[in-house]
Amino acid sequence: MSAPLLRVDDLQVQFFTEDGVVRAVDGISFDVREGELVGLVGESGAGKSVAVSAIMRLVESPGRIVGGHIEFKGETLIEVERGDDGESYRTDATIPDGELRERIRGREIAIIFQDPMESLNPVFTVGGQLREFIELNRDLSEEDAREEAVRMLREVGIPEAAARYDDYPHQFSGGMRQRVLIAMALACEPALIIADEPTTALDVTVEAQILDLVDELQERYDTSFVWVTHDMGVVAEICDRVNVMYLGEIVEQAPVDDLFYDTQHPYTEALLDSVPRPDETVEELNPIKGVMPEAINPPAGCRFHTRCPDAREACKTTNPDCRDVTDGVTEHRAACIKHDAFETTYEGSPPLETGSGGGFDVSLSGGETDD
Amino acid sequence: MSLLRYSGRRVVQAIPVLLGVVAITFTLINAAPGNPVEIMLGPSPNQAAVETLKAKYGLDQPLHVRFWKYLVNLVQLDMGRSIYYDAPVTTKIAQRLPQTILLMVSSFAFAIATAVPLGVISAKRRNKPTDHVTRIVSLVGVSTPSFWIGLVLILLFSYNLGVLPATNLVMPWAHPSNVTGASTRLGVLYVAGAHLLLPMLSLGTLQMAAITRIERSSMLEVLSDDYVRLARAYGVTERTILRKHAFRNAQLPVITIIGLQLTTAIGGAVLTETVFEINGMGRLIVSSISRQDFPVVMGTTFVFALVFVVGVILTDISYAYIDPRVSYGDQE
Repeated sequence: MSAPLLRVDDLQVQFFTEDGVVRAVDGISFDVREGELVGLVGESGAGKSVAVSAIMRLVESPGRIVGGHIEFKGETLIEVERGDDGESYRTDATIPDGELRERIRGREIAIIFQDPMESLNPVFTVGGQLREFIELNRDLSEEDAREEAVRMLREVGIPEAAARYDDYPHQFSGGMRQRVLIAMALACEPALIIADEPTTALDVTVEAQILDLVDELQERYDTSFVWVTHDMGVVAEICDRVNVMYLGEIVEQAPVDDLFYDTQHPYTEALLDSVPRPDETVEELNPIKGVMPEAINPPAGCRFHTRCPDAREACKTTNPDCRDVTDGVTEHRAACIKHDAFETTYEGSPPLETGSGGGFDVSLSGGETDD
Repeated sequence: MSLLRYSGRRVVQAIPVLLGVVAITFTLINAAPGNPVEIMLGPSPNQAAVETLKAKYGLDQPLHVRFWKYLVNLVQLDMGRSIYYDAPVTTKIAQRLPQTILLMVSSFAFAIATAVPLGVISAKRRNKPTDHVTRIVSLVGVSTPSFWIGLVLILLFSYNLGVLPATNLVMPWAHPSNVTGASTRLGVLYVAGAHLLLPMLSLGTLQMAAITRIERSSMLEVLSDDYVRLARAYGVTERTILRKHAFRNAQLPVITIIGLQLTTAIGGAVLTETVFEINGMGRLIVSSISRQDFPVVMGTTFVFALVFVVGVILTDISYAYIDPRVSYGDQE
C-alpha cells in the first residue's frame, strides 16, 4: 500500500480559556490516502472542526496545537514537541508560515466551511472571489483565471455561469453558494479537500444534490477528501473510511462497511441506534443517554463510560487507545477495553449503573470537584 | 445603475425632511415669548411704533400666511432680511458659512485620516501595547468636551508657547492683500493653516476618538468572519486580507458613525467658534437667538439642517456603494 497522502499523528489542540484549558483534540491519529474520502464523525463539540483546522494550522487564538505531527506528501505541516520545561514548541521540521501559506494553503489543501451563507464575502462578486483564489493558487493570468472560474461554476452546476459571475453572494441561494465554495476548492486543483460539515446548513434535497455532485467530481478529479459530519447517513453515502470522534479522541476507525455492519465501539453503536431507519418502525428513537461532558473537564478513564451501556468498573480507570480489534483481517480499530486486544480486567469487572441522565450527573459533579 | 437610482431616491426623500425642519423651527420661534420688535424698541415702547415695525417685517399677518410666504421665498433662495443687521439673511449666511464649512470639513478630514489607520492597527495588534495606547487615547477623546480641549490648546500653543494664533480663521482662498502676514498665495495657505490647526484639533478630537473605537471593534469583528478565515485558508497574505477582504466590510458601521457624528460636530462647531472667536454659523445662530432675530435663526437652522441632510445622504450613498445588498434591495 502506498504511503498516505496525509498522516495525522497524536494531534493535540488545546484552548487556553479563562475557565481553564480545554483539551479540544486530545491525541488523535488518522490518515488519508490518495483518492480516498475519509469521514470524521461525532456529536457537536467532539473536536472535529478543530482537528481539521489544525491540518492547515488555522486554529485561532486562544487555541493552540500543543502536540503531534501532521505530514502531508512527505512534508511536515506541523510537528510540536514538549520541551524539558513543559512548554510545547514547533520543531525545525515544521515548514515555516510563509511557505505553508504559499505552497500548501489553497494550492495543495483546500477547505470548505460549514456555513455557505457566511463563507463568501458579501461586498465582492462571486466570480471575483473565485477568480482571486484561482489566480493566487494556479499562477494564471487574470483573464485565464476568469475563464477558469466560469468553467468551474458551470462544472458545479450553476446555470448561466457566465452571467452569474458578476452577481453578489446575496443573489445566490444557500445551495448555490455551497456549489460556489466547492467550485472554489476544486478550481485550485488541490490534492486534498477538507470539507467541514459542508451540507449541515442545507436542507436535505439540496444536501443530496451536493453529495451527488461531490461524488461525481471526486471521481473525475481524483481528489482526496476529509469529510467532517455528524450525519451517519452522509457517512454511509460517500465515505470510504470513517473515524468516529468522541470528546477529542478517536474511538473507532474502520472502512465504512465494517463500521456499519461490524461495529466495535459502544459509542458508534449508540450513534447508529439513534439514527432513524426506513426499514424499522419504532415508537420513538433511541438517542444516546445524557449529554457529552465538557471537554474542559473530561471524565477519567474511558471518556464515554458515563453514557456507555456496556460500561464496567474497569472503564472508570482505563482510557484505552485505538487498537486493532479484528486480528488484522481488516483495518478496524476501536478504543474499547471490552475487546480481547486490551488485556484488562473488563471481564471480571462489575457493570456500572448508568441510568438516564448519567452523563449529566457525572459531568456536573466532575465540574465541582475539580475547581 | 441601481446605485444611481438609490441615490436619486434618497435625495427625493430628503425634501419632506427639510420641510419638516422649516415647519418645526417656524412654530417654535413663534411660540417662544417675546418678539424682535420688543427687543428693538426696548421696554414700554410706543404702540404706534410697534405697529409700524411689525408691519414692516410682516409680523402682523397670521401665522399660516407668514409660513406660506416664507416657504415660497425659500424656494427662490430668499430667506428674508435680518432684523438686527438690516441685511438679507442669505448675504449674512454667505459671509459666515465658509468659516464653518472649513472648520467642519477639516476636522472630519483630520478625524478620518487618523482614526481609520489607528483603528485598523489597533485591531491588528489586539491586546498589544499599540492597542492599549490607542484605546486609552480614544477613551479620553470621547470623554473630553471639545471646548475644554480648545481652551487647553490655546493656553498651551498660543499663550505659553506663542506659536499658533488663538482667534479667527483665514480662508485659504483669500487674496494675499487681505491677509496680514502673507504676500503670496503660498503665504496665505500657511497663515490659513496656522489659524485652522487649533480649532480643527479641538473639534476633530471627539470625532477621531469615536471613529477609532468603532473602526477597531468593527475590524475585529470582520477579522473573525468566515470569509476572512476562508481567504486565509486559500493562502491569501495577512496584508491582503486586512486591506482587501476585511477593510471594506468593516467600514459599514464606521460610515454610520461618521454620519451620526455630523450632529455632534454641528453642536461642537458652535462651541469651537465661540472659544476661538470665529465668525461662523455657530456664533451667528447663538447671537441671533438671543436677539430674537427670527429670519436669521430660521435661515441658519435651515442651512444646518441642509448640511446634515446632505451628510446623511452621502453616508447612505457610500453605504450602498460599499455594500451591494443595500442598493440591490432597492430594486424590489
